[in-house]
This record gives sequence, structure tokens and C-alpha cells, in this order.
Amino acid sequence: MKILVIAEWQKDTLRRVSLEIATKAASFGDVEVIAVRSRGGGPGEDQGRYTPVAWSSAVAEKAKASGAQLVLVGATLNGRDLAARTAAKLGWAYAADCTEVTPKDGAVEAKRPMYAGKVRATVKVPLPAIVSVRAGAWTLPAGASAPSVTEIAPAADDPRLAFERFEPTASSGKRVSLAEARAIVSAGRGMKGPENWKLVEDLADALGAATGASRAVTDAGWRPNEEQVGQTGKTVTPDLYVALGISGAIQHLAGMTSSKVIVAVNKDPDADIFKIADYGIVGDLFEFVPAFTEAVKKIKGNG
Amino acid sequence: MRFLVCIKQVPDSTVRVKVGSDGRSVASEGITWSISPYDEYAIELALERKDADPGTIVSVVTVGPARSRDALRQALAMGCDDATLVNGPEDLAGLDVAKALAGVVTELKPDVVLCGKQASDDDQGLVGPALAEALGWPHVGMLTKAVPAGSGIELWREVEGGHEVWKATPPVVGLVHKSEKEPRYPSLPGIMKAKKKEIPEKDLAGLGVTPGAAKIEVVAMEPPPQRGGGKIFKLDGDPKGVAEQVAKALHEEAKVI
Repeated sequence: MKILVIAEWQKDTLRRVSLEIATKAASFGDVEVIAVRSRGGGPGEDQGRYTPVAWSSAVAEKAKASGAQLVLVGATLNGRDLAARTAAKLGWAYAADCTEVTPKDGAVEAKRPMYAGKVRATVKVPLPAIVSVRAGAWTLPAGASAPSVTEIAPAADDPRLAFERFEPTASSGKRVSLAEARAIVSAGRGMKGPENWKLVEDLADALGAATGASRAVTDAGWRPNEEQVGQTGKTVTPDLYVALGISGAIQHLAGMTSSKVIVAVNKDPDADIFKIADYGIVGDLFEFVPAFTEAVKKIKGNG
Repeated sequence: MRFLVCIKQVPDSTVRVKVGSDGRSVASEGITWSISPYDEYAIELALERKDADPGTIVSVVTVGPARSRDALRQALAMGCDDATLVNGPEDLAGLDVAKALAGVVTELKPDVVLCGKQASDDDQGLVGPALAEALGWPHVGMLTKAVPAGSGIELWREVEGGHEVWKATPPVVGLVHKSEKEPRYPSLPGIMKAKKKEIPEKDLAGLGVTPGAAKIEVVAMEPPPQRGGGKIFKLDGDPKGVAEQVAKALHEEAKVI
């Protein structure tokens, strides 16, 4: 089977999720890795600004010309948007945000979360199809080499839509993005106020983690929306999820329950978050977190 | 300006979803149905434009079974001007839903079409982009703000580290991630007014849609892997000792640090 993998660049390297997919897809058949690159990308624009019309047209043309039966792309912000519009353009089946993909009996079987992660579905995807795959669904083998990438140019853009400017989020910094982070420190109302976030950030720095937040916190404006984990925020599956002062509303749990290891700190021993935690710490997070940050640093320091 | 908001009725987000006896769908007993959360944000964004300019018209449409009428009624009670129900089976392909919606767009001629970025049942996020494709319109995803600017509209798209601001000359499709304010509750006069409104029905054939587009099929469903039985630590006046135990466990047992 001929498979097209759509890769995304981040500066000069492929995104990790693109590497994961390209590496795994090689076991399904004959893989060609492509990336769309716009001309004249400005500073910070790794591969030019994504625009749905121009990119989906280019990818659809390439998919048709290549004879591919299956197109795989990372379920990133742009990846999901591009995949959906391209599937519509081609009239192909589409499965979003899959955690497993297996070619089977002339079709593809995929697993994907539904109902905001409250159930896991196995779906049959008729070919030809486009499938977006969640970051971390496939473990990248040690020493996996970067594939060669065919670059394609975007088609013409729709003149009715023009990029105007970028408005950075005030508090966004150097940290890894939530969607691809292997460790996340998330905090909730138990932090008592935005002025206490240094505790969260210090622990995140010690762990090399991204920072997340509960909906209560982003709704209160303590943290930017993009940090929200849960049903109307991001669904995450890191190796380590640390929940500080989060009680565990069902909508929050739906967004993080597939994390490999969950650590929860809460002063309420009956908090729902403890029902899914691998390590639960009952007590005052303001006492525990600084000590924990030091302990993590000590272990990391000893390698 | 004329807005059309496309919504879907889904199990309320506070419902504990259970797998049904057939093992490949969700048990329907005890479900409370609501407007999908992202669609509620889309309604709020449109109604905020109407608050600012009363000449704005906000229409709402859904494709779904008869019970979806309640979701439309709810949207009218929030302040939408009119509603259309397209009768369609629950398992209609997303691409066919998009074609049906495109038919309604052609009749109502809105300047801006808003959809939630995905419905919180199948979480596919297919219908919005597919609708834009069916119409031949551009679309902007991850929308958090829509502000009229000159003859066009500014659309804010949330991305890593901030927002891209796009200027659209309508028509355009926006896929809503969030509104700045929480979606409003229906007011009592709103509810009374909504009760009196007619909700016209359309069928797929009348919109030129013959179902049969490519789609995925759910063959099995299971609850997420059960968790629990974790270790519980109590601080008991020794945060340092507990912190060291937990860090050690994460390093040696869980091997995540």
C-alpha cells in the first residue's frame, strides 16, 4: 500500500509527531513523506503560515497524483484542520485524533477517543482515507533517523482571507507545547491566585514539563486559555501528569485520564482526582510542591 | 451582518457516558441532551455581535433526529432569531451533513457561518472544514473572537503562544474554540419568545443530498482503561520526606523522571 505522510517542520527539524508517524508507517507499506512549505515565511514561521485552502489543495493534488490509499498526519492544530478539509476535497473517509492505526483486510482499523475521552472507540476506516494521529501514539524508537522529505508548494490562496498580525499571549514563554509535552504540571483553583504560579513553573522547569490549568483557572483569567486541559480545552497523554489543587471535575479527567502516570496533590482526601491518580498526596500543596521541586532536582541532578 | 450557527445536540458534558449493550454505541438511558459546548461558544460569539449591532441576524441550524429540535429551541431562547431543523439520521456521514448544511447556507445567504470546532460526541472536527469546502469558502479554525472591521471581519485564531488575526471579506466559515464570555443562559422572556417560534423542517432530498459519502464506522467501544489503586501519601508534617518518597517512586518504579 502506498502511504503519504504529511510532516510538519518546527524550525529546521521535523516535529516529533511527524517522525513518530513516518517511522511507524514504514511498517505498513511504501511511504512518501511530504511537507508543504510556503515562500516568504517570516520570523518564527517555520514553514510559512498555514492556510487551509492553499494547503489542502496542494495536498489533495499530491495525494491523487501519488496513488496513495492512506494519508497520515499528526493530530496537531494545523494537522487536524488540514486533514479534515483535504478529506472533504477528496471525498475520502477521515478519522481524527487516532491513538492506534492498523491496516486490516483492505481497510484500516483505528482506535480513537470519543465523547471527550470518556470512551475509546475502534473504528473501521474504508480506503482511501486520511487519518490524523495523536502525538505519542507511537513510541519513537531510539536512534530513528529523519526520513527524506519531499517539499511541495501550496496552491493559490483564497483572496477573501488575509493574515493580518500575530498577537502573542503575554505569559507564554519558552516552555514546550502542551500537546506534545512528555510531562505536564497542571494546576487548579487550589493555587488560590495567579500570583502563586511561580510554584507551578519551578516544578515544571525541574521536570522539563509544560504547564497546564483547569478550566476554573483559565475562566478566571489566571492563566491563558491555551493552557486549559479538559473537555473544552486540550486532551493530553503525557508520560507524567502532575495535578496541583485540581479536584477532578469529569470534564477535566476526560482530558488527561490517558496519561501514563498521574500524580495528584490536593488537601481534600475525597477529591475525584485521587480515584485516577497513581500517586496521591493529601495535604497542603504550598508545603509539598517546593519540597517536591527540590527532590526532583536532586534526582535529575544525580542523573 | 448575517450569521448562521451550525449546532449539534450531544450528551451533556456532565453526563457519565456508558457503553451500550451492543458494545459499539453509547447507552441512551439517562442521557441529558445539550448543545455541544463548542457550538454554544459559537452562538455566544454571534449573539455578542447582535448585542453590539441589533441589525445583526443570527440564525441557527442543525442536522439530526427529531430530538434535536430541543437544541434549536434552546438556541432561540438564548437569543437567536430563527432556527432550521434538517431531518437526518444519527449516523449520517460528516461529509453528507456538510452538504446538507451547504444547501441551507445557499438558501439563507449568511455572511458568516460559525460551527463549533468539533462536536463533543464523535470529536471528529470534520463538518466545519467540509462545509467550507462544499461552499468553496475559506475557513478559519480555533476561533476565539470575531470583530467587524471596516467592510470585513477580524477572526482571531488561537495557536501555540498567541493568536493569529485574520481579516476576512465575507463570506467565510469560522470554527469556534471558545468565546471570551461564557455562553449566556436563556432569559425568561427569551424562553417565552422561543416557544412561540416556528421551526421549519427540511429533509435531505430537498437539499439535494443523497446519503452515501465515505465515513468511518464504529465497530467497538469501551470505557478508557480503568485507573485507581494508586498510592496515597499523607503529609503529616513531613513534606520533605513525602516529596522525596514520591520523587523516588517516580524515578525508580514509574521511571518517568
